[in-house]
Amino acid sequence: MRFATRTFLSSFIPFAVLLAVSFWAIRASVMQTVRDGLRTSVRDNQVALASERARNENRNRKLLEGIGENPSLKAGLQLLASEGGAGGQARNTVQDQLSEISDSLNFDFMMVSGERGEPLAAVVRYAGGFAPVNLSSLHPPEQGFFSADGRLYEVTSVPIREAGTQVATLTVGGRFDISQFGVPAVLLHHGTVIAAQMRDLAPAQIERALAACSTAADCELRIQDQQYLSLPLGGPAGNGDDSYALRSLQNVDAASAPLQSVLRKLFLVAGFTALVAMLGISALSSRTIARPLVDVVTHLRLSAATGELPEFPETHGGAQEIRDLTQGFNTAAKAVRESRERLTRAYVQFVGSLAQALDARDAYTAGHSRRVSEYSCAIANAINLSQGDLEVIRVGGLLHDLGKIGISDLVLQKPGRLTPEETELIQQHPVIGKRILENVQGLEAYLGIVELHHENLNGTGYPHGLKGEETPLYARIVKVADAYDAMTSDRPYRRGKSHADAIAILRSVSGSEMDPAIVEAFALLGDQRKQPPFTGSQSLRSLSEAVQNEIDHSLPAGTAAPEVAAQEQEAS
Amino acid sequence: MWIKLGSCVLVAATVAAGADIHGTIIIDRKLSRHNVTASMGMYQRGVAVELRADGEMDPLAFERSHVAVYLEGGPKSPVTEFPKVSIEQRDRRFVPDLVVIPAGATVSFPNFDPIFHNVFSLSKAKSFDLGNYREGQSRLVTFPVPGLVAVYCHLHSNMAASIVVAPSRWAVRADKDGVFSLKDVPAGTYTVVAWHKSAGTFRKTVTIGGKDAAVSFTLPYAEPSDASHVAHR
Repeated sequence: MRFATRTFLSSFIPFAVLLAVSFWAIRASVMQTVRDGLRTSVRDNQVALASERARNENRNRKLLEGIGENPSLKAGLQLLASEGGAGGQARNTVQDQLSEISDSLNFDFMMVSGERGEPLAAVVRYAGGFAPVNLSSLHPPEQGFFSADGRLYEVTSVPIREAGTQVATLTVGGRFDISQFGVPAVLLHHGTVIAAQMRDLAPAQIERALAACSTAADCELRIQDQQYLSLPLGGPAGNGDDSYALRSLQNVDAASAPLQSVLRKLFLVAGFTALVAMLGISALSSRTIARPLVDVVTHLRLSAATGELPEFPETHGGAQEIRDLTQGFNTAAKAVRESRERLTRAYVQFVGSLAQALDARDAYTAGHSRRVSEYSCAIANAINLSQGDLEVIRVGGLLHDLGKIGISDLVLQKPGRLTPEETELIQQHPVIGKRILENVQGLEAYLGIVELHHENLNGTGYPHGLKGEETPLYARIVKVADAYDAMTSDRPYRRGKSHADAIAILRSVSGSEMDPAIVEAFALLGDQRKQPPFTGSQSLRSLSEAVQNEIDHSLPAGTAAPEVAAQEQEAS
Repeated sequence: MWIKLGSCVLVAATVAAGADIHGTIIIDRKLSRHNVTASMGMYQRGVAVELRADGEMDPLAFERSHVAVYLEGGPKSPVTEFPKVSIEQRDRRFVPDLVVIPAGATVSFPNFDPIFHNVFSLSKAKSFDLGNYREGQSRLVTFPVPGLVAVYCHLHSNMAASIVVAPSRWAVRADKDGVFSLKDVPAGTYTVVAWHKSAGTFRKTVTIGGKDAAVSFTLPYAEPSDASHVAHR
């Protein structure tokens, strides 16, 4: 993760979380307060309505007691009592009286019952008139609700007294229409909803929610994730039929919804604004903090990519830590550069020393290793090998005959033909060279060239008799360059061959000993001895020059002369 | 309004034996708060009752037709023949609700409703209680003493009827135009009495001498309310 990102996140996330949590907490608390306030007001409202209803009932009761004193009705009851079972017309008379009273006082139901509560006569309102009710099927409570013929009535009763003794009971009531009720209410019978104002709620839901409520107490419940408040309405249950229960049922959430929505919007806008501001501040601060570091890192990354270690320009602004960091880097880079130079020098010295040691044994082979190296590099360049390959080939070319250190001078410098034993001895030199070098760390890459530059394509070479591509490309290239230089160099017993002859001979063994592609590539390059030595890239040139310098400086003037002379001779 | 015109004509009464008294009751404003509403039929089910379905009566005509007129004083002339008078109970009403009879007459109270009625009176002139009786039954009551008798029903407190018991045989109700006539009044000096339940009692003296006499009353209220109509009860 980038430093800037980390800085941004570590400043933004805690603040964002803190902000969100505090906003949420404030919102929740405000909502709760609002809801509580509304609930209180709804409750007060409903309590007021309930008590108003009770007061109305009380007033109605007084009115009804007046009706209970109606002398005509009393006369009717006396008539009913005196006529008794003779029946029909006396009951008709009382029913007629009840109808008349109901009509004038706008009742929908009226009944008189005797001392023991047995119904004597009852009428109900039908469209436009009153009709007597079948008494056997009628069991209205003294107070409360009952249902007859699919209609719901709410009734109350008053005593009819004579001389202070209750002789009968008058029960009157009206149709109960819950939709006309002032508050959202629900009427239950044995816990089952029989009338409700809430059309959007299923009765089963209301029943389930109200089941937990005590009949007498107010109650808070949740239906469809909404908060409801329910209060018992209606008069005292007393001697009434308490299987019916009239309760208010008001949605508190709906009441507070408009306010809640406004608050929610407000909080959302405020929260979002704060969050955006926070985002901007975090981004700005993280940028300010990370900018110098990012610059440093960019610089370092560039250094890593190029391999160079340029120094940082001296910065005067910025944080102390950044300045310390860049200065530290500068110091370290300087040390690394110096040590790298020392190492390069040591390496160059080593390789140069080895090559020098080898060539110094025989004045006639002086410069052989360097030339082979140059020719090989030219070939490698011609067949488009990479810079790294060239580096390996250059050094490998310098070291390829290292193994000859281990061959006796008698054999090595013997003029004339060699005996088979001597030839065998000579042929040991790649293996000896490999043995010398394999113990030196950092020279593993050149082992292939040293060991295998005498293998033939057809497997007749030494030391292993590898075939074709089994011999690495580097070794095959060096083999061509080695053969060419051997042929064109003077020997004590013969003069060197011309370029054209050498190429012709190379071509004659192309395919059997030499790699034809390499031979042809070399042939196309022309006479290498007449061209400035191929140096390849700048770095290689510097290395080559360094090696040359090392050789020149370390060699005594006398020993270097033959090589120069040979070159001059060949050039002419 | 033609009644008013008629009332302007005053014919001088001439005294003659066996003459008639013609007269007019003039009422130009309502005297009682009478609501003519249909009473609900017995146990009507599902049928709407139209108010005033029994025909609206002109309120003033109603007032005029509810005036009793009779003669007081004059020479004694015993009643030989009593009219047959009945007050029926129909649809929780007394029909008619005003009868004028000579003292000694008998009134029948037949019940035509399918419910009981209990007709009674507590008036001074005659108090009676006929008890509960059912449809088809009737009761008879004789009224020997002149005076006003207010008749009620124990079972139906809004049922009421008035019986005016006159001291002579000349006792009639005005018709809806307020016109009445007392036939074959022998010569002499009489007091013509007009009685209205709300307005009270009005008296005018008339001397009959062989020729028809005319007398008219303009009712609103009796000037000095002696509350006699109440005292009579």
